[in-house]
Amino acid sequence: MVFTLLKESIVFAWQALVSNKLRTFLSLLGITIGIFAIITVFTIVDSLERNIRGSVQSLGENVVFVMKWPWTFGPDYPWWKYMNRPVPVYSELAELQRKIKGADALGFRIGARKTLKQNNNTVENAIVSGWSFDYSKIKSFDIIDGRYFREDEAEGGYNVVLLGYSVAQGLFPNDENAVGKTIKVAGRNCKVIGLIKKEGESMLGNSMDNQAIVPYNFGRLLMDVKSENSDPFIAAKAKPGVTNAQLKDEITGVMREIRGLKPLADDDFALNETNLLSKNFDGLFDMVSIAGAIIGGFSILVGGFGIANIMFVSVRERTNIIGIQKSLGAKNYFILSQFLFEAVFLSLIGGIIGLLLIYILTLSLHSVIDMEITLTRSNIILGLSVSVLIGIISGFIPAYGASQLDPVEAIRTN
Amino acid sequence: MAHVQRPKIISIITITSIILILLAFPMLFMPSIKRMGDFIPMTIGIIITLQFISVIGIWHMKQWGVQLFIAMFTIRVVTFMLLEVFDFRFFFNIFYSLLFIIFFLIYYKEMDKNL
Repeated sequence: MVFTLLKESIVFAWQALVSNKLRTFLSLLGITIGIFAIITVFTIVDSLERNIRGSVQSLGENVVFVMKWPWTFGPDYPWWKYMNRPVPVYSELAELQRKIKGADALGFRIGARKTLKQNNNTVENAIVSGWSFDYSKIKSFDIIDGRYFREDEAEGGYNVVLLGYSVAQGLFPNDENAVGKTIKVAGRNCKVIGLIKKEGESMLGNSMDNQAIVPYNFGRLLMDVKSENSDPFIAAKAKPGVTNAQLKDEITGVMREIRGLKPLADDDFALNETNLLSKNFDGLFDMVSIAGAIIGGFSILVGGFGIANIMFVSVRERTNIIGIQKSLGAKNYFILSQFLFEAVFLSLIGGIIGLLLIYILTLSLHSVIDMEITLTRSNIILGLSVSVLIGIISGFIPAYGASQLDPVEAIRTN
Repeated sequence: MAHVQRPKIISIITITSIILILLAFPMLFMPSIKRMGDFIPMTIGIIITLQFISVIGIWHMKQWGVQLFIAMFTIRVVTFMLLEVFDFRFFFNIFYSLLFIIFFLIYYKEMDKNL
């Protein structure tokens, strides 16, 4: 029974599609555009969110950063006070390592854009990062070939380097084995000891792909460590069971002591957290999603009116057929289901076309930008279910009207 | 089958309900609802759709419309309680739905029993 109904409805819907191609196309366009608009917004927002969350996580979870500038600020941001703050220095790291009990690891990092060369191959504006040995315990990354530098290499300032994917590709374009080779980093010879796994583009701009990692004691020869331009910071990872708030309290006390701040003086450093960054982005993404929801939601409703319109026309065109069906014994629910299935089928086609367009868009975007944009399962479920529900909502009134027709009156209709 | 005259108050309530239901539709896409799970927007969408159908039934002065409206109201309240959604919309929905149900029940006996 259900299958017969489904089959007949699909046949009717298909006939409507084929016999009135332009009318059907224009009616479906509303649903297609609605689904396309809303699911595109969700797909892009979800992908950006995933990318940023991944970037934030790669900075390290439960990590507190000691920096000159805070990451978040309000409208009464006293930037003129922050301007005069000193940048964190390497000697402060040693003090913190000695005094902080709640940290699992503490690391120091500086970085600047430099030119890297290997024979005739040059990579300009690569980020050369100088890491203290323990920074690798905080920042997550994978080495696909070679190794990380040893503690003696870090302390002795050996001229060794780990290359990010894009940097390695630029310096060794013929896929030759880079490990063991010597390159020039800002004019100084440096031995490649490891290659870092490809990470892809990061919204926060902290992808390892465009970086070359050197020991801090070597890196300080390449850049001005006391300059803000080398973006120096100390990172502290909390021990298991120690909250970020506890760690921040401890760091605040020790940093104030190191810098000799008087009891009433303001802190001359900022303590930043990755979860604060995530929370800021959550608010932004929610706003974009809500705007997308409202615009897309109403465009789908308008698309529903298009389906309702085509169904009213369909009922009017087939009124005498409905009369004949009813006079031959067809029940009201049979007529209702017939038209309802047809509306759902039409709406579903519109939704599927919309989802296919998004899929094509994600493939095109993926080839243009090096960022993973995926049409997720939850967005496909949402798109399809909304199409079906809009089909039911827009098709119910004409379908119910058809089911309530008097067979005698209906047969008489021209 | 005898045609039942629809009272003006029922016309006003059903038109208001349809507008409120259609305005509730974009709610399916709200990030807070999406975050609850893959199938939550669909579940809420089904409730909204069935509420819409019940209102169409009431517009045609059918008893099944009132029965479906009450059933959907109960399911909606229970679903939102299970999802722990206790915002302004939840209480506003309870308020106007209960008010509408009172009016529907007043005219319930005058409505058509057939589908």
